Amino acid sequence: MNSHEPVDLHLAALRAELRTVAAPPALEHALAARFRREHRLPRPRLWWMPPLALAATIALVSWMIRNTLPPLPAPRPAPAAEADAGPFLALRPLERIALEPGSTVVTTEFPRALLADWGLPVSPDRAGEPVRAEMLYSPEGEALAIRLVN
Amino acid sequence: MSMPPHDPKAEHALLARMKQGDETAFVALYRRHKDAVHRFALLYCGSTAIAADVTQDTFLHFITQTAQYDPARGSVGAWLCGVARNLARKQLSVREDATDPQDLGDDASLAEAHIDRDSPLERVLRGEAAEQVRRAVAAIAPHYRDVLILCELSDLSYAEAAQVCGIDIGTVRSRLSRARAQLAQRLAPLLEGAKEAVR
Repeated sequence: MNSHEPVDLHLAALRAELRTVAAPPALEHALAARFRREHRLPRPRLWWMPPLALAATIALVSWMIRNTLPPLPAPRPAPAAEADAGPFLALRPLERIALEPGSTVVTTEFPRALLADWGLPVSPDRAGEPVRAEMLYSPEGEALAIRLVN
Repeated sequence: MSMPPHDPKAEHALLARMKQGDETAFVALYRRHKDAVHRFALLYCGSTAIAADVTQDTFLHFITQTAQYDPARGSVGAWLCGVARNLARKQLSVREDATDPQDLGDDASLAEAHIDRDSPLERVLRGEAAEQVRRAVAAIAPHYRDVLILCELSDLSYAEAAQVCGIDIGTVRSRLSRARAQLAQRLAPLLEGAKEAVR
């Protein structure tokens, strides 16, 4: 007789007894419920909702601001145009002025008496008053034409 | 006790369906392995209550960590036994921590300490001889007992037992041999008593 045989017989007896042992029946129900929870269909992904809500909010606020603020005032005419009392008076021959390639207009203020230097009429009573004018200068700084603003 | 017949193709088909959320596939796999896992836990822990907890936790792990199972490394049954073994060891270590170290002697007494005296297996194992064998199995050193339970009482192959315990097959063989020798030694009084009864 093999020395292990008694051990085998006893192990066989234990195996036979263990065949009557089963897992508690309640476990299956609990585990199946857990499985259902684990594999529940995921909710639809709503990742696009926050950006969409942000864009809608921005659009709404923009619309409200546009409709609440007073209308923008009409563009004011440029000071020169506002005080446009008339055309430029040529201080140099027109042909010369026409040939100047890069003349510039500068708004300036000077004593009214200077107008007399360019042959313009000046009232002696107002000779000391300042006068605003737009001057057309050649690139070399020569006054070509003048327009009184006030 | 024995593991259910190993039919890899059928099991892998069920596993694939289970991963897709098929509850019937999970239930089929559960029914196939639940008793083997429970018996393994029962032998390992010596308590029906702890064995029930270990069984439940093992299948919860199966539900939530299905991807951890690698078909190339063994059967589902062997993998579940490995999970159950780890969970049972945790349970036992908790109980060990709650035990006065002065009460613990060698490996054998440690194994005895794991036996739940209030709800022992005799409630389940009505056969006296089987209960004595179970007590003898529980009393042998844990690393030998693991292999004995896996190979002799759970019908795992040596390779599967090696996988569960994280050792090589040669070590499984040697530990099994020593486990049987220790078991024979512990069962000797029982055998002598039987012989004298016969005389």
